Amino acid sequence: MATIQVSEAEKVYIMHGVRDDLRVDGRGCEDYRHMEIETDVVSNTDGSAKVRLGLTDILVGIKAEIGRPRPMAPDEGYLEFFVDCSANATPEFEGRGGEELGMELSNSLYKVFNNRHSVDLRSLSICPGEHCWVLYVDVLLLQCDGNLFDAMSISIKAALFNTRIPRVHISEDEEGGKEIELSDDPYDCMRLNVENVPCIVTLSKIGHRHVVDATLQEKACSVASLLISVTHRGTVTCVRKLGGGSLDPDSIFEMTETGKRVGKILHGPLMELLQKEESLGKERMKVGFLA
Amino acid sequence: MAGLELLSDQGYRLDGRKATELRKVQARMGVFAQADGSAYMEQGNTKALAVVYGPHEVRGSRSKSLHDRAVINCQYSMATFSTAERKRRPHGDRKSSEMSLHLKQTFEAAVLTQLYPRSQIDIYVKILQSDGGNYSACVNAATLALVDAGIPMRDYVCACTAGFVEDTPLADLCHAEESGGGTTLSLALLPRSENIALVQMDARLHQDHLPALMEAAMEACKGLSKVLDSVVRQHLQEVSVQTRE
Amino acid sequence: MRETPLSNCERDFLLKGIQEKKRLDGRQTYDYRNIKISFGTDYGCCTVTLGKTRVLAQVSCELVPPKDSRPTEGIMFFNLELSPMASPGFQSNRQSELLVTLNRQLERCLRNSRCIDTESLCVISGEKVWQIRVDVHVLNHDGNLMDAASVAAISALCHFKRPEVAIQGRDVTVFSPEERDPVPLSVYHMPICVSFAFFQQGSYLLVDPCEKEELVMDGLLVLAMNKHREICSIQSSGGIMLLKDQVLRCSKIASVKVSEITELITKALENDRRARKEGGKFGFAESIAKERITVLTREEAPLDTTDIQATADGIISKADAPPEVVPSPVIVATGTGQVGEGLENTWGLEEDDEEEEMADVTERKTKEDEVMVLSDSEEEEVVILNQDGRSKRSQR
Repeated sequence: MATIQVSEAEKVYIMHGVRDDLRVDGRGCEDYRHMEIETDVVSNTDGSAKVRLGLTDILVGIKAEIGRPRPMAPDEGYLEFFVDCSANATPEFEGRGGEELGMELSNSLYKVFNNRHSVDLRSLSICPGEHCWVLYVDVLLLQCDGNLFDAMSISIKAALFNTRIPRVHISEDEEGGKEIELSDDPYDCMRLNVENVPCIVTLSKIGHRHVVDATLQEKACSVASLLISVTHRGTVTCVRKLGGGSLDPDSIFEMTETGKRVGKILHGPLMELLQKEESLGKERMKVGFLA
Repeated sequence: MAGLELLSDQGYRLDGRKATELRKVQARMGVFAQADGSAYMEQGNTKALAVVYGPHEVRGSRSKSLHDRAVINCQYSMATFSTAERKRRPHGDRKSSEMSLHLKQTFEAAVLTQLYPRSQIDIYVKILQSDGGNYSACVNAATLALVDAGIPMRDYVCACTAGFVEDTPLADLCHAEESGGGTTLSLALLPRSENIALVQMDARLHQDHLPALMEAAMEACKGLSKVLDSVVRQHLQEVSVQTRE
Repeated sequence: MRETPLSNCERDFLLKGIQEKKRLDGRQTYDYRNIKISFGTDYGCCTVTLGKTRVLAQVSCELVPPKDSRPTEGIMFFNLELSPMASPGFQSNRQSELLVTLNRQLERCLRNSRCIDTESLCVISGEKVWQIRVDVHVLNHDGNLMDAASVAAISALCHFKRPEVAIQGRDVTVFSPEERDPVPLSVYHMPICVSFAFFQQGSYLLVDPCEKEELVMDGLLVLAMNKHREICSIQSSGGIMLLKDQVLRCSKIASVKVSEITELITKALENDRRARKEGGKFGFAESIAKERITVLTREEAPLDTTDIQATADGIISKADAPPEVVPSPVIVATGTGQVGEGLENTWGLEEDDEEEEMADVTERKTKEDEVMVLSDSEEEEVVILNQDGRSKRSQR
């Protein structure tokens, strides 16, 4: 993250504002910043999405490759995450500087997404025990302005929605070995069901209240945050606490309730938007960064 | 390369261009608000993003600072999904280190570093999609990013690749043409003074063809410089309109 | 350990010399230093000496599975190492810029130019191919590592012979050199790198810079060519601006140099082949001449003495008159000698007048030779005597 230095006076100002449900940029405690989502920005991936949340910029590319399934789950495919904190975000990420943060982020993503409740991993299997689809999800962090997890989860959901996996025909040849053929038709592909993919909501505790979608300045004033991944039905799939401060059980309960509420509201418009974007089909102008 | 004709009889290339035609260039400055200067460049299917931080105090060891000039620090990296086969390491391998070095040398020649002694200018370039001409797209994007950051330069630095097939020089190669085994010449040029900041060539070429190839590359660079110039002027107009209101 | 930087005086001296077309070792602008190529007892081992720069290259091979994208081609792997014995500035584990540049340039010069037929290295398509590994070690750094490394690598590749293999179905038998003669690699052409150093923003250029010239140069242009006048790679580095004509001119010079060097390599290979066939001794031990101290030998540098008499006369005529002669020592008593009359004791004086010094004279006279023992105290005035009465005053 770009280092932000916040003075004591500014901290007090922010805390007082939050107490009265008024944040520095005029939002309420449960409001998200302006969000822009676009899918299919990178053409040699199988699925991609770009999300801009305030000033945080994330680009996700998904590539599907055929590999061996894990021995513990032979009839499922799996996802591999890699988060690249690029030097674009801040000069401190140059060289190996961004590796630590990247590892932490990818480990959290594993916990949230790589289980059979979030994504239908069974549909990724080709030949149980022998071949399966492995989805390499590469997250590229371009600009950092707080609230990385939310933006990443939204972009991963959008990218998974956009992913087109080519259909596979298995044929047996003379010696009994299996031949895998990918269909040549670019439109003959499999789509993933992203209904159950959760979205992460990060709640940061400032003073006695908590806020959703904290900017870097607000993060500097908060002592602890709670990371909740919520599905569209409002089911909580993963809870994690970040930060060095402590949270008492009442505030955790409150924050979970808020998280559930906000998360549920988030999913509806997101899916609508993705469907609308897809329905525009070929006429859609691919803008990418050129806006 | 069985069956892939890089130049057909009618003079058309794999993607329908003529021999000296450049790919479609689209660029945009000021993409990121947090960085001092940023630019996004698309040359055909190659997409490059450049970000400039600086001039600022030298980070890390003080011993790296020069007493009369600014230090230019470059990093070239590719997104893991940028190539057809997934790349495991975005940066740190030999090719990326070499590219970073080349970028650094190119810009050390072009930027007026004497104006900022004891400071450092960081240039970070990322390739989002790679389809040939990676180095050229990086150089062009970095030029725009430097202009966006307000760092003075001697001239635009424009780069382009050129190849040679059957006695005809081709300008602006795509990935299939580069890996087809023919010659690839990358050239970074300061258009007004015709000074070459960097020249790099791989694969065999007979000495007699060299002047024609270099001429084709220089012409392509000059064409690109016009495009970059128009992008800068357009951006300036937009920004001045916004600040006026 | 850090390298000692070059002082400003040396830098100015070198640049001025280059402006007047004079180099430190008396070469012309387009001259190479002496190149010596010698081969070791194993096939594929080669040392190249370029002036004082020494580089060792070793080629080895092994059977490996091929790359997925190219199942019918062998693999070439290049590795260049800067050993700390070459120069105090090199550290063994650091990935310095120079190392990356040299490695990449070597790879591009030799691999991308397809000088070796990689298809002939395939044993079983998709399963086993030969991997040829070229290791280049820099033994001494006196400038222009790139050229020396490329000559060493290509000579080693031409010298190398790989073991013979026999394929039966899916079984591969590798024969040792005693069972069957090893097979040489098929080399299409020999690309050689030629380095051009640019000075004063590109106004002056030199071929084959030595280490001191490399420290002063603005930038470097490396051209790899072969004797058929084909350019294999061009690479410019350093922050210099070039013009198209300069690049074209360099390519013409390079083609001339490359043909000379290629001849040298072929001759050296011929010599080695003949020596092995006739049963003579070959190897590194033979290439080092006996009874010579290899570290301190200095090659004879040609000196231009055409107008030395005239310049010497000119200097003498313009020089000042020689200082006064001090009379020979007066022997007062046996074992003592007195020269001059002595000066006053200046130890008690306060003012720091640097001109006044203690008069302290050491003298030793021998009949034949002048052996001057000059003490190294800084406040002495040394007077050198000679029997003829010529004397020079030198102040330390």
